[in-house]
Amino acid sequence: MNRARLCGVLAALACAPVLAAPDTGAAAQASAARAEGRLAGRAVPDIPLTLADGRRVQLSELWRDKPLLVTFYYRRCAGVCMPFLEWVRDAVRTVGGLGSDYRVLALTFDDAETVADLRAQAAALGLLEASDWSFAVAGKDEVARVAGALDYWYRLDPATRQYDHNSLLVGIDRGRVVRALLGTPSGSQRFRELVWELRGSFVSVYRVPGRTLLRCLSFDPLSGKARLDWGLLLLVLPAFAAVALALATFAGAARRT
Amino acid sequence: MRSANSNTLYAMAITFVLFPILILLGIFLRTVQAGGLTGLQSWFYPLMTLHGVGMVGVWYVASMASLSDVLSRHVTPSALIGRIALIGTLIGVVLLLACVFLGRFAAGWYFLYPLPFKGEWPAWSTVIFLLSLTVLGATWLIWSLDLLRAIAKRYTLSQALGWHYLAGRSEPVLPPAVLITTVSLIAGVAALLSGVIVLALYYIELLAGTANDALLMKNITFFFGHTLVNLSMYLGVAVVYEVLPAYAGRPWKTNRIVAISWNCVLLIVLFAYFHHLYMDFVQPGILQTIGQVASYASAIPAAVVTIFGALLLVYRARMRWNLASLLLYLGLAGWAIGGVGAVIDSTISANLRLHNTLWVPAHFHTYFLAGLVFMVVGYFYHRCQEMAELPESAGVQKLAVVLMVIGAYGLFAAFYFAGAYSVPRRYAAYPAELAYGATYAAAGAASASAFLLGFILYLAETGKRWLKAVRAAP
Repeated sequence: MNRARLCGVLAALACAPVLAAPDTGAAAQASAARAEGRLAGRAVPDIPLTLADGRRVQLSELWRDKPLLVTFYYRRCAGVCMPFLEWVRDAVRTVGGLGSDYRVLALTFDDAETVADLRAQAAALGLLEASDWSFAVAGKDEVARVAGALDYWYRLDPATRQYDHNSLLVGIDRGRVVRALLGTPSGSQRFRELVWELRGSFVSVYRVPGRTLLRCLSFDPLSGKARLDWGLLLLVLPAFAAVALALATFAGAARRT
Repeated sequence: MRSANSNTLYAMAITFVLFPILILLGIFLRTVQAGGLTGLQSWFYPLMTLHGVGMVGVWYVASMASLSDVLSRHVTPSALIGRIALIGTLIGVVLLLACVFLGRFAAGWYFLYPLPFKGEWPAWSTVIFLLSLTVLGATWLIWSLDLLRAIAKRYTLSQALGWHYLAGRSEPVLPPAVLITTVSLIAGVAALLSGVIVLALYYIELLAGTANDALLMKNITFFFGHTLVNLSMYLGVAVVYEVLPAYAGRPWKTNRIVAISWNCVLLIVLFAYFHHLYMDFVQPGILQTIGQVASYASAIPAAVVTIFGALLLVYRARMRWNLASLLLYLGLAGWAIGGVGAVIDSTISANLRLHNTLWVPAHFHTYFLAGLVFMVVGYFYHRCQEMAELPESAGVQKLAVVLMVIGAYGLFAAFYFAGAYSVPRRYAAYPAELAYGATYAAAGAASASAFLLGFILYLAETGKRWLKAVRAAP
């Protein structure tokens, strides 16, 4: 029996390096979370834009009276741009608040695009008539300034004429980043958190990247409040266990005498 | 003459060796902050870690050993378990020394998550540190349970908690030390179990790569650390209840008020640690409020009843003042004075200003050094003198006490003033804007040196008695 136990312990120790092997998914999430965190509070340069209806406006005009969600794309993208814009559109519809709490700007980083391209993109998403959705184009240098301020990167691959780029959605309030979502989010949980922050609610708890065994608190994106989580049981468990041990010790001693 | 068991004598020896070394580390820290020893500045945080964990560990063991010795007047703790606890402590200390001196582990005594995994020290030193805490925690848990077992052999739980006094009965007579020990050890077991949980979560992350929730880890870590430190203090107080009456020539008995106050401590002390998380804005507001209320409520009943009781004990008594009684009495004073600083710091509005300043080390040094240390070293002298029965040198003893008191309170004053002037804690070197912090640090280093001098005199007085006691021990 003892030998079997010893074998079990040795097997567990042998497996430890395998178990402890880095979780690349979690590492990528952690890296993205750090990159998002670095953007909070950043000032966004005010640049001139041309909108899909042909109007020329300053970026600051779009965030003057309410917060602004900004994302980047280009029309010819054969990769993530369209799915990402669809995700933003669907998340906005699910969560609500468009027009009352924020508006959305999709800014192309392909300076060759025209107003017609912007309109085509809006139409493809079914957003041509959406008054608080804006599609815009700007000069190459102006877009580069905004992208640079947000650590957003894109580069043209001469072979394919496609841009290599990542996905970013940034919440901006009065010219400063409130929160950013980097990569391709799934579901609307993180978008809800972003919208709560744009509404001025303080979201105190974010999910830790990677697998987390137990948490003290979690954020309920529907109610916008933090709620107690199972991890808090670990704070009361020792007290109950200590009382139980004391009762057992004294009861055991009483039986013996 | 009542001979001490060898475990108590070994615990004294461990304390007498380790405490001066840890004081030297403290002097080193303040000297570096004062701008001296710049070549050794990179050792500041590893040695701060060793100083913190070492002091907490040494004085927990010293107070447990003293208490075990006191309890042996009334009940029978296991000598074997006491020996295992000391051996476990030595193993833990060796592991701690290894991770600090070989691995430069420097996450502080509170080893807040995720710092142990994020430092520039090698991963193995974090593992050794966690193993050190595991060995210490496991042996102390067994020790605590054994002392409870010894009490349980003579008293029922309700008797050990003094509930018959609440019902108006005074039989069986319950020594205050037994009451305080029962309360402290039940809470102590809870603290040590929370230590087991936090260590288990660290090991799970190490082995399985599962991330932990930083807020949860901080809560559990301070449940463990704060409560254990708090209870060390109470163990020292239990010793004073037992010994000081011998010098006053009057009894100090358990009564209804004493029973109520210490039972309140058992209920409340487990919630006081929340005051360590005031700066954590994520922590729910209700827990912050509980932290403030519990900090006041746990400090006031036991402290007021004990201090008031001690004053009544001494007032117009034919006190026999010597090194032991002076230190025991001064220990209660230090507990009360440090408690005031702690209660101020546990007030949310004050904590917002003071938490990250030297006010915090000020208050915990006060009740730990001028409180617990004075009580325990007072008891150590008392026991050594009881066994050796050598003639006492009043002059040397008074000089030792004066030097220790001046040194200790000079050290605290340098911390308190610096904290009040917003000098941050945990800075190895102060930037130009905080250059005045170096002046306070220099004053602190000088005061700590005076304390060390006083302690060396104390050691000279106690050491010869200890040697005689060891020779006479069975």
